[in-house]
Amino acid sequence: MAKIIMVVDDSSSMRQMINFTLVAAGHHVVEAQDGMDALAKCNAQKVDLFITDLNMPNMDGIQLTRRLRADAQYRFTPVVLLTTESQVEKKMEGKAAGATGWIVKPFQIEQLLAVVKKVCP
Amino acid sequence: MDIAALQLQMRDAFRVEAGDLLAELDSSMLELESRPQDADLLNRVFRAIHTIKGSGATAGFDAMAAFTHHVEELFDEARLGRLTITPSMIDLALRAKDLIGQLLEANGSLALEPACADVVEALAKFLPHKVAPASSARTKPAAVADQKQRYKIFFKPHPQVFSSGTDPINLVDELRALGEATVTARVEGIPSLESLEPEQCYLAWDVELLSAKPIASVKEVFLFVEDESEIRIESLPMAVLSETAEASPLAAFLNIASQSLEALDGFLSQFRGTAKPDPGCSKNYLRILKTFQAAATRQRQDETAVLLEEQIHLLEIAGTSEATLADETKVSLEEGYQKLAAQVQFLRGGEQSGEKAETILEPKPGVVSQPANPVGDAPKKEEAHARATIRVDQEKLDRLMRSAGELLVARNAFPILAKRIALEHGLSVMGKEVKDAGDQISHIAEDLQAAILSIRMMPIRTVFQRFPRMVRDICRAQSKEAELLLEGEDTELDKTVIEQIADPLVHLVRNAVDHGIELPDAREQAGKPRAGKVTLKAYNKATNVIIEIHDDGRGMDTVRLKKKALEKGLITAAAAEAMDERAALELIFLPGLSTAEKVTDISGRGVGMDVVRSNIFRLHGTTTLESHQGGGSKVTITLPASLMVSKGVLVSSGGEEYVFPIESVVQTVNLPREQIHRHEQASYATFRNEVYPLLRLADHFASDKKLCDVAWPEEVAMAIVQTNRGRVGVAVDRFLGQVEVIVKPLGRDFAAIPAFQGATILGDGRIALVINPAGFV
Repeated sequence: MAKIIMVVDDSSSMRQMINFTLVAAGHHVVEAQDGMDALAKCNAQKVDLFITDLNMPNMDGIQLTRRLRADAQYRFTPVVLLTTESQVEKKMEGKAAGATGWIVKPFQIEQLLAVVKKVCP
Repeated sequence: MDIAALQLQMRDAFRVEAGDLLAELDSSMLELESRPQDADLLNRVFRAIHTIKGSGATAGFDAMAAFTHHVEELFDEARLGRLTITPSMIDLALRAKDLIGQLLEANGSLALEPACADVVEALAKFLPHKVAPASSARTKPAAVADQKQRYKIFFKPHPQVFSSGTDPINLVDELRALGEATVTARVEGIPSLESLEPEQCYLAWDVELLSAKPIASVKEVFLFVEDESEIRIESLPMAVLSETAEASPLAAFLNIASQSLEALDGFLSQFRGTAKPDPGCSKNYLRILKTFQAAATRQRQDETAVLLEEQIHLLEIAGTSEATLADETKVSLEEGYQKLAAQVQFLRGGEQSGEKAETILEPKPGVVSQPANPVGDAPKKEEAHARATIRVDQEKLDRLMRSAGELLVARNAFPILAKRIALEHGLSVMGKEVKDAGDQISHIAEDLQAAILSIRMMPIRTVFQRFPRMVRDICRAQSKEAELLLEGEDTELDKTVIEQIADPLVHLVRNAVDHGIELPDAREQAGKPRAGKVTLKAYNKATNVIIEIHDDGRGMDTVRLKKKALEKGLITAAAAEAMDERAALELIFLPGLSTAEKVTDISGRGVGMDVVRSNIFRLHGTTTLESHQGGGSKVTITLPASLMVSKGVLVSSGGEEYVFPIESVVQTVNLPREQIHRHEQASYATFRNEVYPLLRLADHFASDKKLCDVAWPEEVAMAIVQTNRGRVGVAVDRFLGQVEVIVKPLGRDFAAIPAFQGATILGDGRIALVINPAGFV
């Protein structure tokens, strides 16, 4: 089923790459460039899944996750972090903040789709 | 889904962003050199590199990403306060940055490997420990085993699992998707309703799975929850498997059965007792009966299912309030329970090898530690120039631009039509109406044009930002000191102009530092500060954009210029003699004249000022030079802000019509004949105490030779036009007014005629040539 997925990353090409892939898989994608932007945009429609980068200006992925968990609407919505191999500590911090899972960059198209299907079937 | 096409799209998207990031890195790394402790700046640099690496690897630029990893490491260490950035690190990082750009262009080529290896080695020296290279290898999906395996899985999620956005049922379903699965829920953890927290998970699951997938695939299901959940996965050997494979569903069912009976017994004892039963307990009783029945039906345990059906029916009729439960009903429930227990006992006896299924693994007390939430200090707002933008295919924009341009030209037809309606058909009211309608369309067309033009406009910052790095590099290479001042970085120019102005500017700034600025000692002797100053300035003036490159260096030596031009046979001795300062400076724009004593690495590669001028000329711009020996030089470039639609002055001359771009026309005057003088074959016009060289457009193009001999009329229509050689008076027959023009190129065969920019279609459909003032004289 088509989901509304918000992609939060300060790298426009990363957002686009995820966007292309998810749209090709039949989902709707909303892009946001950082946590602040995501919070501002997530009330316009009920988002089914958040995919967020960790390190971003203004509000990072961990803070965004915490804010979403504090929001009645998004307490139980899956939040997937985009991490790199070197960010093990961050991964734990993200989990503690309430993240659902993570995708390790670089990822292949199939991997991204598998994670989306996993957390949000 | 076309994965190959997606990957191509990804690569394109990444190239665009990487270009921007690399350009930003150039300037932010330089800033960092002067403020190595600035945490925000460090973060910005780190983030840009991090993005290049992460997004690049995802887009498939593996080699580039692996290389970038090393640079990232350096700034990561600095960001974490483990090392301090020094100028030599910046040097290296800049070199690495250049390599990243090249790797991006030459993806897959091995030519850059030695250079990269050098940089990596040098970087490693700065790092406190040797860093293993990033593995850009992607995890290959594990090979699919042919043979089926049997797994026994226990999964008890953390009670707070929902608040991490995970629905454990999804995971159970995922297991189910791996093969044939028998799933048994453990419900004993569910408390009575009043103490049940709806947001907690009380369930655990036993899953028996028969699957062809390796154990890694099973483990992967729990990837995101493995740390805080109790998970045990046992892989049963094949031998056992064949024996127990068939028995397993029954075993699982019996498991459910005994759990259900246990729970039912608990409730029954409440009914039996004299105390008031717990609220909701008969509802729960009904729920357990239904679960039990579902399991029985699934396992084709028809007798059990029938017994359960009776019980359910009984309870449903009695109503679900334990307070009003009749004694009669309680007795029936008790009887039903006994029958069920007997039936289950019977089934259990029939099961041969049920032991395995019965060994329920007791969960160990969960070691669930939640790391304390480290409160990261909120990153400060950055003053990066990030804006929300949409990237649009330039072709689309050009098409829009052309249409708008044509609209602007088409609207020129209205006044002509209005005039004809009024004069030729005598309908003056109608004529006025047509004119009014035309005016309105005119306004809208102008708004549209302005809006589209503004889309195409880009701040010159994108060009300017490369220069600090360049000036610094040249200074380092030549032991010079120079300061670069940038002004008017927000001045906007058409995108096409921005793209094409970069090369000429690079050349001019190089020249300014390489040839202009003297060595510090020499400067001191000349009474100047040791550090030279190069100013790069952009500003708007009317519809033009002016760019000035000014240095306080040694200035041009016109004597040497003349000597050089003589040596190369570019001018005659007599001409050299007659030349004034200004004309001598013009020599620098001659092809083949390079004044550098020796060809340096930096400039003087034979690409001279002539190329600069001709490039700017192609943008319909002019280049002028001022210089004082010992006092520095200043190059002024005048460009039209936009190339596409412009206004022009329509003139007639010798029976033809021409258009002068309005930005080139300083003034139009009707000059009395007395103010024109002749001096040595040339005419000059005096206007407001200025003397201008005067030429007649008709003579210039000599469209009709006879006209050349015509004497000046009493009053001469003269346009004062800005050219490369300064202001020149151009005499025409008549001024016909201002027009909107879209300049269309003349086509290949005529492209070499420098006097024309192109042609345009006038409102009434005729064609006029558009003069290029820069190539005109």
